[in-house]
Amino acid sequence: MIHFQAADVAALAPEILLSAGAIVLMVTEVFLRGERRGYQALLTAAFAAAAFEAFAAQSGNPPRAIFGGFAVQDGFATFAGAVVCAGLFATALIGAGFLRPRAAERGEFYALALLAAVGMCLLVRGADLLFVFVALELMSVSTYALVAYLRVGTRPSEASFKYFILGAFSSALFLYGTALCFGATGRTSLSGIAAAGGGRLLLAGLGLILAGLAFKVAAVPFHMWTPDVYEGAPTPVTAFMAVGVKAAAFAVLVRILLSAFGARPFAAAWQPLLEALAVLTMFGGNLLALGQRSVKRMLAYSSVAHAGYLLVAVASTARTGRAAAAAVRGEAVTGLLFSLAAYTATTAGAFAALAAFERLSGSEPQPWDLDRFAGLAKRRPWAAAATAMLMLSLAGIPPSAGFVGKLLVFRAAVDAGLVPLAILGVIASLIGLYYYLRVVVVMYMEPAPAGAPVSPPSWPTDLTLVATAAIVLLIGIGPGPLTAAAAAATGLLGG
Amino acid sequence: MNIPWLTILIFLPMLGAVGVALLPREEHGQHRAVGLGFMLLTLGAAIAVALEFDPAPFAPEFQLQTNVPWVPSLGIGYHVGIDGIALVLILLTAVLGPLVVLTAWKSVQTQVKEFVIALLVLQTAMLGAFSALDLVLFYVFWEAMLVPMYLLIGVWGSERRIYAAVKFFIYTMAGSLLMLVAILYLYYAAVGPAGRTFDFPEILRLAPGLPLAAQRWLFLAFALSFAIKVPMVPLHTWLPDAHTEAPAAGSVVLAGVLLKMGAFGFLRYAFPLFPDAAAAFRPLVATLAVVGIVYGALMCLAQRDMKRLVAYSSVSHLGFVMLGLSAMTVEGLTGGVYQMLNHGVSTGALFVLVGLLYERRHTRAMADYGGIARAAPALAALWMLVTLASIGLPGTNGFVGEFLILAGSWNSRIGGAPWFAAVGAIGVILGAVYMLWMFQRVFLGPNRKAENQTIADLSGREWTILVPLAALIVVMGVHPQPFLDRIEPSVQRLVDRLGAHHGAEVGTPPPSIDRQELILHPVPTTPYGQPPHLPPQFLRRLQELRRHHP
Repeated sequence: MIHFQAADVAALAPEILLSAGAIVLMVTEVFLRGERRGYQALLTAAFAAAAFEAFAAQSGNPPRAIFGGFAVQDGFATFAGAVVCAGLFATALIGAGFLRPRAAERGEFYALALLAAVGMCLLVRGADLLFVFVALELMSVSTYALVAYLRVGTRPSEASFKYFILGAFSSALFLYGTALCFGATGRTSLSGIAAAGGGRLLLAGLGLILAGLAFKVAAVPFHMWTPDVYEGAPTPVTAFMAVGVKAAAFAVLVRILLSAFGARPFAAAWQPLLEALAVLTMFGGNLLALGQRSVKRMLAYSSVAHAGYLLVAVASTARTGRAAAAAVRGEAVTGLLFSLAAYTATTAGAFAALAAFERLSGSEPQPWDLDRFAGLAKRRPWAAAATAMLMLSLAGIPPSAGFVGKLLVFRAAVDAGLVPLAILGVIASLIGLYYYLRVVVVMYMEPAPAGAPVSPPSWPTDLTLVATAAIVLLIGIGPGPLTAAAAAATGLLGG
Repeated sequence: MNIPWLTILIFLPMLGAVGVALLPREEHGQHRAVGLGFMLLTLGAAIAVALEFDPAPFAPEFQLQTNVPWVPSLGIGYHVGIDGIALVLILLTAVLGPLVVLTAWKSVQTQVKEFVIALLVLQTAMLGAFSALDLVLFYVFWEAMLVPMYLLIGVWGSERRIYAAVKFFIYTMAGSLLMLVAILYLYYAAVGPAGRTFDFPEILRLAPGLPLAAQRWLFLAFALSFAIKVPMVPLHTWLPDAHTEAPAAGSVVLAGVLLKMGAFGFLRYAFPLFPDAAAAFRPLVATLAVVGIVYGALMCLAQRDMKRLVAYSSVSHLGFVMLGLSAMTVEGLTGGVYQMLNHGVSTGALFVLVGLLYERRHTRAMADYGGIARAAPALAALWMLVTLASIGLPGTNGFVGEFLILAGSWNSRIGGAPWFAAVGAIGVILGAVYMLWMFQRVFLGPNRKAENQTIADLSGREWTILVPLAALIVVMGVHPQPFLDRIEPSVQRLVDRLGAHHGAEVGTPPPSIDRQELILHPVPTTPYGQPPHLPPQFLRRLQELRRHHP
């Protein structure tokens, strides 16, 4: 029986704020008379900011179990949760600019996004496989609905259906893995599994859990759904999937691997597996992105490739061989957290750019063609400069947040003795350079096609675009504070 | 009061870029004027840096240092400082800066604002890369050079500009990413008592102690990145495209400064950090260098396009630089550094001149010209001067550099050293052939084409660009000592460092003097003031004693 305590409720303040936001939006939507819905995005952003603040207030607290050990409050969860809230903030602003011209602004959209964020925030603090599963489903079900939000046309329904089927499949894998772990140890809590240990059955459970989460982070070869779903979903939702879902899934992956399966025999089993996944994902994502003319599809594959870089960091957390030192493991987790934050800022900005320039009628083929970006340097110089900055950050060119992220990740890999993995990583990012540069080439070096329709500018989208570019640049110039925060969060990883 | 001149120097152009960004879009004249003004201020700061710099042989190695933590948790610092080699290259960069803006004054008419910003940002990145004393800081500046140069080629270039820009970017990036892994490995492997750091002087102390197997890989990773930038054959194929397609101003920066970055990288990083590996790979570097000299020269003979010819001549000249560096003697290295300056001045001037012709006639094919010396006598005279400098006529700067390189290479202890020098000398002859041949085809003979009859001679602005370069050619040719005085102590240190590991293979062979005799009698000196065959600490002490007890 779980006993709630006041302190537990205080620890959950961010989730409670987000849920309250969802309820407020749903209720006001019902009683709305007119068509003025501008407040909804701002309200969502405000709740996201409040939840971010609540997480920030918790940072530095020593780790402690809440809800009788089902969840924890620790620096790691706080950092990852704050990243999710930042992603939600950007999503709300992109959503405002995106939905208004399409006459699709409704409270449900923002409420669903808030609920998905609640799922993510709970996910990153899950300390028990059952709790993790419930949070995973809360996140996933909200996202399924969001993907299908613009019901018009075949693309959204195809995307949503695909995501739902494959998402359900991956949840089933995760659940089956949980069941096997329970069968092997009689526990579902991460610390309990770690204490009990076990043989092949537990390893099989770990494998299934890994496969389930690999679907969520879109690691090759579990990435098949990504391009279609990312392309079919409304752009703000794609942004949220690329940043929020990925950040939360990575955080819980690291927690499960380190808390439940951190012991040496297990680490020796999953480290090579993750190395292989990382290599496949980096190369698969980058190579598949090369041929894309649709910028949205390109960004989808780019997010696959970035999952690969993050997997390098996860593989470097293993306590095997030379990587036995706790400092090395800490470096890898710091690198992962920093990269998640950098990736969130950059990717949110990139999707804001996409939302700013994509063609209005989403039902036509290719509203996201590269041509939409042609000649932007002359028509919209600041937006073009911001987009170029974000592309350079995705490509990992200094001074940008993306560069520092890659530096930290590859440093962790070299420290963990995975030098070949780091070399493969830089070769993969070299491939990636080509398609990121192509966006810059098109914006700066090719003239706009004659009579190309210009998307109406919308201030929330433009604000997100320019602000994220500025943040990415600032983090690139002065990465100290964020690095320190990530390192502090690492030190407080509970379990 | 301690003024951080170096930091001011590095970030002045960046400040200018911000200023230009805030100006209204249509005010092209203001963009150019502000850009020029900040380039001149940068030049002033560079002169201040040069005055602050102490060229004495016993002065500290890295001067004008600033060292503040940047990302303390990772051991990354904002650590800048310069030795003599960096100082002269900084001066070269600062001198070319205003001239580049002037070069583009008329020829760039679209997106002037972005153009000036790109030039200024590039200037900051280049000055920063020469000054950085932290490996991550160096890498950041090194990469930051790429984007503006890429835009300069891709936005303001000629027909095949996008192809050339992307090729340039991907080639250079391929090398530098492997360098990044090598930097990370150094951070991991070279750990001193003070903990892990990216600080260059600290790593310079520790890295030479690494085992040879690790050094080999690290050297290769660094050298690949630098060899692409130099460029050394066979990694040079991006260069002709990039030069040909870039606007004249872009070519000047590319040839004048960016290529030097590669040779500078060898001098500052690849050689002293991994002396054992450097000694092991020296024959390869020297071989590629002479192959580059001859191959570049032969390619020049086959060109119809003037700009492409000058581009291939850069391959040949940078081959000379690398030959001088690979000799690892004081003469060879000094000559290599001096030749870097010469190449920056004379090839920069050549690209300016080709650009002037292109502005007049909109063609770069030599066949479209002929006999225009009559119509534009001043242009022809200056072209001739630059040609002579480029082929190394005595009295011009090129002679000093090439002579030192060939002498140093001949005396070096690399196997078959005279052969390398001899093959290199063939390049000097071929250089005279293709440069004079170009001059003849463009300027001499009858002026047959109607549109060439009225080709305009130099305007006031064009005189302003060319006179400083011509003056440098002459001054550096007849009075090289102030430059050599600054280069030489740094080079001596490098030779000492390499010699400490490979005493038998580095430096000049000792003359046949008995050591006993040497201590009893006054110390004989080489043209560079240092006898080459005793432990350097001992020599310094000896010279100090001699100064105090004449």
